[in-house]
Amino acid sequence: MECLKNKKIQEYVDRSLNRVESSIIRDHLIVCGKCRAKYDQYKKMEKLLINPVYKEPPAKIEKFVLNRLFSKIPTYSSIFALISLSFILLVSWIYVYFDFDNNSIIQAFKLTSNSAFNWITSIITFISNVFSSVYAIFKVLNKLFMIIFNVNIGTQLFGLIILSIFTSAFYFVLRIVYKKLKEHN
Amino acid sequence: MKTFSSINRKIILDDDKILIKEILSGKESSFEEIMRKYNKKIFNFVLRMVRNEEIAIELTQDFFIKIFTKLYKYNFEYKFSTWAYRICYNLVVDYIRKNKTYVDSLDDDTTYKKDLYMRESAIKEDGADVLEREEVKSYLWKTVNSLPVKYKELVLLRYIQELKYDEISEVTSLPIGTVKNRIFKAKDLLRKEIEKDGMLEK
Repeated sequence: MECLKNKKIQEYVDRSLNRVESSIIRDHLIVCGKCRAKYDQYKKMEKLLINPVYKEPPAKIEKFVLNRLFSKIPTYSSIFALISLSFILLVSWIYVYFDFDNNSIIQAFKLTSNSAFNWITSIITFISNVFSSVYAIFKVLNKLFMIIFNVNIGTQLFGLIILSIFTSAFYFVLRIVYKKLKEHN
Repeated sequence: MKTFSSINRKIILDDDKILIKEILSGKESSFEEIMRKYNKKIFNFVLRMVRNEEIAIELTQDFFIKIFTKLYKYNFEYKFSTWAYRICYNLVVDYIRKNKTYVDSLDDDTTYKKDLYMRESAIKEDGADVLEREEVKSYLWKTVNSLPVKYKELVLLRYIQELKYDEISEVTSLPIGTVKNRIFKAKDLLRKEIEKDGMLEK
């Protein structure tokens, strides 16, 4: 009987032959040393292949995927940025809306802060000083707007419109930043 | 074992499918479980295919994100693992196709072989059998890495992912006969390669 083909031996190792075929191969393997040597090699190889050398996947894979898919916890810095910017926008809005630049209480605060040291009055003075300059910018822009479009909507309304635009832009930017943050973690 | 048996298409709810149902109804911990279950096999398959750890990590991450976002498309008639491995296989094959030169240039096996051969002869004198076996095993798996891609991918699907021939045929869209023949051919190549160094003699 001639020697077996490699494929047949492999199928025998795989146990994918039917009974008749396997018994023929088994008989041949008993008498033929050459084929048996090959069979032994395939068998050994199969054993080595069946238990592969696995490398442990790094933990960062799971971390990254879970963070990307399920992260709902925003970072501390983003919360801080959100709160402080919202606060600034709110104060500016109130300031412009109630026209605090010409408000008597603020004027009074400004005057008293010079004589007596008080941290509340100094903060209010600081804020009002900052916003007075911002208000001045609004005034200039409003005048410019008047010259270009020939409409006077008043500094106050103009300021409110600009602030509203800023607020919405701010929230859009925040959303984008937040999404990016989520992807990076 | 009947390799040519027709695949039973009846819907049987195995562990995986129960987990998938839970994920689809919003249970996040079930996805973690799926990840933990498949992470090792997927990562090792990808790593052996692209042979670069950083890229393998990225592709494995991409794979899990893809799985999650595509999960609503999963058909419960199929085995989840086959569906998942198919996505993984396509992801890797796509990557290799796009970066062919890069992947092919990473051939570092020759130095390893020499190194191992020296250790091998040192071990022979000691007669440390278990260690020797481990060495032969790792040498064999290094040789698998250097097989041509069309053989390697099938060997990896069979032994790393532990798929049956019919499942490999589904994953790769190759006829089952081709799958078997290529795996046999691959093992022939492996056997000859290892025989050269006399590693299967003991």
